Amino acid sequence: MSKKVVILFGTESGNAEFAAEDMAVEITDREVEVVDMTDFEILDFSAENFYLVICSTHGEGDLPSGAVPMLQALESENPDLTGVEYAMFGLGDSSYENYSRGSEHIDKKLASLGATRVGEYGRHDAHTGTLPNKTAVEWTIRILEAKL
Amino acid sequence: MLSDSSPSFAIVGSGPSGCYTAQFLRKAFPESRISIFDRLQTPFGLLKYGVAPDHIGTKAITLQFERLFERDAVSFVGGTEIGVDISLDELREEFEVVVLATGLSQDRPLTVPGGSLAGIYGSGRITRLFNDHPEESLEGVSVGERLVIIGHGNVAIDLIRLSLLGAEQLTDFGVDQGVANALSGPQIREIHVVGRSPVGAAKFDIAMINELAKIPDVKFLSDTAEVTDERSDASLRFEAICKLVRESNPDANRQVIFHFGWTPSLVGGDSKVQFIEFTGTDWMGKLRIHTDTIFSAIGFMEHHGSAIRRADLITNQTDLASGYLSEGLYCVGWFKRGPQGAIPANRTDAKLVSDRIVEDLNIHGKIREQHKQ
Repeated sequence: MSKKVVILFGTESGNAEFAAEDMAVEITDREVEVVDMTDFEILDFSAENFYLVICSTHGEGDLPSGAVPMLQALESENPDLTGVEYAMFGLGDSSYENYSRGSEHIDKKLASLGATRVGEYGRHDAHTGTLPNKTAVEWTIRILEAKL
Repeated sequence: MLSDSSPSFAIVGSGPSGCYTAQFLRKAFPESRISIFDRLQTPFGLLKYGVAPDHIGTKAITLQFERLFERDAVSFVGGTEIGVDISLDELREEFEVVVLATGLSQDRPLTVPGGSLAGIYGSGRITRLFNDHPEESLEGVSVGERLVIIGHGNVAIDLIRLSLLGAEQLTDFGVDQGVANALSGPQIREIHVVGRSPVGAAKFDIAMINELAKIPDVKFLSDTAEVTDERSDASLRFEAICKLVRESNPDANRQVIFHFGWTPSLVGGDSKVQFIEFTGTDWMGKLRIHTDTIFSAIGFMEHHGSAIRRADLITNQTDLASGYLSEGLYCVGWFKRGPQGAIPANRTDAKLVSDRIVEDLNIHGKIREQHKQ
C-alpha cells in the first residue's frame, strides 16, 4: 500500500505554503496532509509516512522564519530518523547569491539524522517571475510515480 | 441573510497586509463574504507600486493574491476610497468586521532648512514613478549628473540600483520609456548615498548590497570606519560594503560613494537645490556635496490627506498589538505597526490579527448562543 504523504512547508512570504496546497490537491490516490514546519512536532517523523519537503530561502541563503523552529528542534533533540524517506524541493531567487540554499539546511540535517532523500532535488527560481506552484506540482507527480 | 457562522469581512487596502489578511480569513471562514476595497482601480498596493520593478521574484507574490479574486470568491472593489466614497460608518454597518490595511504611503519630509527646495524628491514618489503609478507624473522631475540619496535602508539601495540599471534594462521590466530615460539615463555619473548611522547600524539587507555588485561599470567607494566585533550583524554589514568596494572596477565611468554617520543639516540653493550639507551624527565633521538632485529615502508616514487616521480610531478598548481597535474594527500591517518590517513581517502580522478576529468572533458567537438559551 502507498504510504501517507506529508507535505511539510517552510515559508516566509507564503509562496511555499501556496505551492504545498496545490501539491496536495494533485495527490488523489493516497492520504495527504499539509503541515507548516512551524507547527510540526518532530517526534511525529515516521517511516510510515513519505515526506515532501518544500522550503524557501531568506536573506543570505538562510532558512525562512517558518522553518527555523523545526531545524532548531532537530538540532537539539537529534531524533533517529532511520527509515524515514523524504523528497526535497527548494525555492530561491537566482538573482541573489546563495540561490535556493534555505532548503539545503533542512536536507543536510534530515540526512545527518538517518533519513533518506529519494528522487530528484526539485528547485524553483523566483527570478523567472513565476510562482513555484506549477514546477512543484509537476515535480510531485514525478516523485510519486517513481515511488510506486 | 448572514448567519452567525459566516460573518462578513471588509478589508480596506489591497496591499500585502490586506491580501494576506484575506487569505487567512478565507481559510478560517470558507463561506464568508470577503471584500477588499482600494482607492485605486488596480489591486496590490505596495507590491505593485512600492516594490522595485526589477524585483520580479517579490512581485510574483501578487500571483498568490490573484487567486483570492479568481478562485477564492474574494471580491475586489477598486476606485473606492473609504472615508470619501463610502464612510467608515457605512462600511461597518454593511460588514460585521472591517479591517484597515491602508499602509503608510507618504514620504517622511526632510525637515532641515531648504528641505523643500525643488530638486528634492521622496523615495516613495520615485518608486511609484518607476512603477507607473496612475497618480504620479514626471512633470518637474529631472536627475542630473550627480545624485544624492539620503538613507541607508533597502529603499535607498533600490534607488541606487534603479538609477544605474539604465533605460534599456528597466523597460524590459515594464518601466515606462520616458521614466526610464529620465531617472536612469547615462547622464548619472556619481551617486552619494548618505546615512545617519555607522555601517553596523545601517538598515540595509546584505543581500541588497551584494546585488549591487552585478551592475556593470560602477566603482564603489565608502568612508566607513572599521568594524571589528567578530561575527556580529554589524561586522557582516561592514564586510559586505568592503567586499563591494574591493571587487568593483576602479576604472569604471560611474561611481557610488557610501557615507556613514552623517546627518543632513541644510540644503542650499535659490529656487532649486545646489548643495546639501551634513554634520557628523555623533562626532565633529561637516560634509558638503554639490548636486541638483536629492532623493530622500528616510521612511514613511500617514498621508496628510488620508481620510482614515489611526489616532482618530483609538478607544479605551483598543489593543493595538493584536490589531483590535473597537468592536468589529481592526487594523493590520504598516497602518497598525508603523513603517517597520518588509512583506514577510506583514504576513506574520496578518496572521496575528486574523487569529484575533477568529477568537473574538468565537467568543461573540458563544455569548450569543448563551443568550438564546
